[in-house]
Amino acid sequence: MTNDTIIRAENLSLCINRGRPNEVWPVRDVSLQIKRGEVVVLKGPSGSGKTSLLSLLGCMSRPTEGRILVHGRDVAKLPERFLTEIRRKRFGFIFQQFNLIPGISVRENVMLPLYPVDISFREMRERADSLMDRLGLSGRSHFRVKGLSGGEQQRVAIARALVNDPEVIFADEPTAHLDTKLSSDLVGILEGLKKEGRTILIATHDPLLYEQGFIDRVLEMRDGSIR
Amino acid sequence: MRKHLKILEYALSSLWRRKFKSLGIIAVFSLIIFTLSSILLLTYAFKREAMEVLRGAPELIVQRISAGRHEMIPSWYGKRIQEIPGVGMVIPRYWGYYYDPSTGGNYTVMAAAGRGDRKLEMLSGKYPPAGGEVVVGKGVAESRFLSEGSRIPIKGSDGQVRNFIVAGIFTDESSLLTNDLIIMSLMDFRDVFKTGNERATDLVVQVFNPDEVENVARKIREIFPDTRPITRKEILRTYDTLFDWRSGMVLTMFGGALLAFIILAWDKAAGLSAEERHEIGILKAIGWETSDIMELRFWEGFVTSSVSFLTGLIGGYLHIFFFGASIFAPALKGWSVIFPSFRLLPYLNPYQVVVLMFLTVIPYMAATIFPSWKAAITDPDVVMRG
Repeated sequence: MTNDTIIRAENLSLCINRGRPNEVWPVRDVSLQIKRGEVVVLKGPSGSGKTSLLSLLGCMSRPTEGRILVHGRDVAKLPERFLTEIRRKRFGFIFQQFNLIPGISVRENVMLPLYPVDISFREMRERADSLMDRLGLSGRSHFRVKGLSGGEQQRVAIARALVNDPEVIFADEPTAHLDTKLSSDLVGILEGLKKEGRTILIATHDPLLYEQGFIDRVLEMRDGSIR
Repeated sequence: MRKHLKILEYALSSLWRRKFKSLGIIAVFSLIIFTLSSILLLTYAFKREAMEVLRGAPELIVQRISAGRHEMIPSWYGKRIQEIPGVGMVIPRYWGYYYDPSTGGNYTVMAAAGRGDRKLEMLSGKYPPAGGEVVVGKGVAESRFLSEGSRIPIKGSDGQVRNFIVAGIFTDESSLLTNDLIIMSLMDFRDVFKTGNERATDLVVQVFNPDEVENVARKIREIFPDTRPITRKEILRTYDTLFDWRSGMVLTMFGGALLAFIILAWDKAAGLSAEERHEIGILKAIGWETSDIMELRFWEGFVTSSVSFLTGLIGGYLHIFFFGASIFAPALKGWSVIFPSFRLLPYLNPYQVVVLMFLTVIPYMAATIFPSWKAAITDPDVVMRG
């Protein structure tokens, strides 16, 4: 594994409900490497295992078999708090359903990953405001997220994913709830993040996204495996 | 430190976000604390009040017992008791009960001569009453609409009705001692109850050395096996047990309702809604540790239970000491028709407060934290999908 490799998966498999009649294997024997600054797309139809693989690589779940190495360290068997630390310090997530917390303001949603971090409220606000400014949300900082449009919610989710200055951004079907115009805006944002040198891993079946020129690699998934 | 303050801030914002649920839990929880603290405070206040009253009571009272029942005691018993070394004066007391059919009240009737042990304050009139006169407690005066100079008919043991003139009424301050009291002259007392001239209700025995009370009591029992000497210590113990029993009874009466409330509060606090589970999943996914989520829930539970505890306790305190314990007093004071109206001395026992806190706040916090812990130790991926 070279120094450029951030994540490496070896013979990764995930089984749900193992040993029961409803046992399924959303991910089967997947091996891959993600290099620094790369934009990689996991492409495939619904149920092909994209989200499950993204979840494994993002240290949100543990594989049934195989290894996941983040900067050369096998994280699959590490205690939960180490996985949390990796997620907090190195990864940012943009979820398909946005997963914002309704009832709190846009700014509070953006600041959420920073509450357990030992920095001041002032620094939290400055970081959040700077990102909201960059993503065109500055006028919305005190709004409740419920009242925002889909595109705005998406940008809040992106701001939240970036607020801890992550090395890798994971995006699960980021255009699923956006129209063509908003999807194009998102493409522009992702392209900007690539230019900043961020590593991006996207799970999508939207050609508008995986046919973009800034995408370095497209991995096609079917039945839990990469073809 | 900053991290903990920020999580506390987020906990407060979460509670505010779910304000209807939070306020609902606080209301129910406060009501539970209010009920429990009212009963505890009232029982304790009664005990203190009773102890205060009994502090002025005689060290030793001697009653005569016949077939296990209280019987009038011959006055000559007193003369023999007075010969026991260490015994000072022996004062006969004359008292009894009188049932008044028109009010349904049970009055305590005493002869003025027998009541020299305590100075009582008069609202109006004079004390002691002369022949044909009575001095009554405030409760008697109110139930019979009496004022100074009014007449009160009392039916004697011979069936004859005697009309007494109210010569005085006791004040509110002495109401705990005098509320249901009718005091008349010894001559009238003997006439009404036909007790004869040589018999008293009981004897108050003065003992010079308080350490010798038990010994004197033992000697009295030896000389007069048909008597029951009652020490003040025994009376105090009996009151203690009585109020403990009554508070237990009230707690049992309210037990069902309390249990229903507790189950409701537990359910509200312990059950994580789908929205809350989802939120835990999001927080974990974006880098909150299980311990951070536990801390968040701890603060939420702490704030909710502390606010409820203080609200309930302050409510209970005001209810007992400023609003006359209107809800629980009838059950705890007794079953008499005429209750003494008196203001209890405000007092908060730190031990009771700590016990109450441990019995309510700690279980509540455990109930809120445990389900969150279960949700927080699951992979965030599962929580978010589920």
